[in-house]
Amino acid sequence: MICVQARRLFGACWDDEITQAERESLEAHFASCAGCREEYDLYSRALELVTTLPRIEPAPDLIERALARSRRVAAAPDRMGSPGFPWVPVTASTALVAVAFTVFSPWLVGRTVPVALRPARTPAPIVQPELRQPGTLASETQGPEAQSPGGTTAPGRAAVVTDPLAAVPDSLFDHSEDIEFILDPMTLRRGRPAALRSNASAKGQQATITF
Amino acid sequence: MARVAVDDERAFAELVRRFQARVTNLISRVLNDRECADDLAQEVFVRVFVHRRNYRHGAKLSTWLFTIAANLAKNEIRRRVRRRNWFSLDALQELVSDSAIQLADPTEGQEITLEREQLQEAVGRAIATVPEKYRLALVLRDIEGLAYEEIAAVIGIPGGTVRSRINRARSMLKRKLQPLLKKADTP
Repeated sequence: MICVQARRLFGACWDDEITQAERESLEAHFASCAGCREEYDLYSRALELVTTLPRIEPAPDLIERALARSRRVAAAPDRMGSPGFPWVPVTASTALVAVAFTVFSPWLVGRTVPVALRPARTPAPIVQPELRQPGTLASETQGPEAQSPGGTTAPGRAAVVTDPLAAVPDSLFDHSEDIEFILDPMTLRRGRPAALRSNASAKGQQATITF
Repeated sequence: MARVAVDDERAFAELVRRFQARVTNLISRVLNDRECADDLAQEVFVRVFVHRRNYRHGAKLSTWLFTIAANLAKNEIRRRVRRRNWFSLDALQELVSDSAIQLADPTEGQEITLEREQLQEAVGRAIATVPEKYRLALVLRDIEGLAYEEIAAVIGIPGGTVRSRINRARSMLKRKLQPLLKKADTP
């Protein structure tokens, strides 16, 4: 047996968990190796000091204090982390439902109206978009209904009035005095019919709205 | 424990009386702090009371108690480490060498009882300087006398790891106490 093997057996020897053969081999090594013998002597004396340490006596009133505190805990169980109402999961699931509703509400609202209840309506004629200069918009709101660039009344407005859905208010607010802004004439021009596109007076300008 | 689970106060008092010494001793030796050990021992029994209905019948009660005590002691050690309010190795070496000098010199007129107390104090402080994960295994094995399997259950690590930690802790402790032991040998 070499020193490394002998020192590896110190713990098992102290715990008396080595075989008889290992013990004899270790003792034979100690007889020939003073260093290992001294090391084991120090090892065993250090552990003797640990194992013979006096036991710490508990506080004399530990039982009373533990009982008193346990009674207080029993009276207020939520203070000690006992299982109560699970606020955290409930709050988290509520927040999740709210977020999901917010995200999917456009689709959900559109599908909640039964198809049978929807009035059959004829497709409205294509409304020719109106191009207004920002400077003239305010004056137009005081005048008659919107005029098309050619001076004729826009047929789209009349179609909206005769629509059965018009009886149902879309909003709680009155939109009759609203001003329409065309913010991006380039986008608008892309979908216009060719007749309107050839109209030189219908030049779009970038509108700027300040609040 | 079954009686404690149905709110039998006398059974709980008996449980505290039976285990208070071992729990206090374990915490005290791990922390090397008597006052704190009393408070944490009380906390152990309060937690036992709070979770009395979660106790698995058939499990060893002492293992459960030691697990709670070990966890509380570990939390306390970590709290102290965070606060940097812990015994430093340099201070320990200074104290060990002082104790060794005092023990080696009988002309100082120290009483034998006082020497023994100083020696025990030095050993307690040496244990307190062993790293936490080794220290807990060492105290459970060499002070509380638990079997390796029970220590594994308390700490929640495999039995082989328990053995290696205890061996490591014993070697560290031997190195720390070596000056004290050698000084005590000198006439």
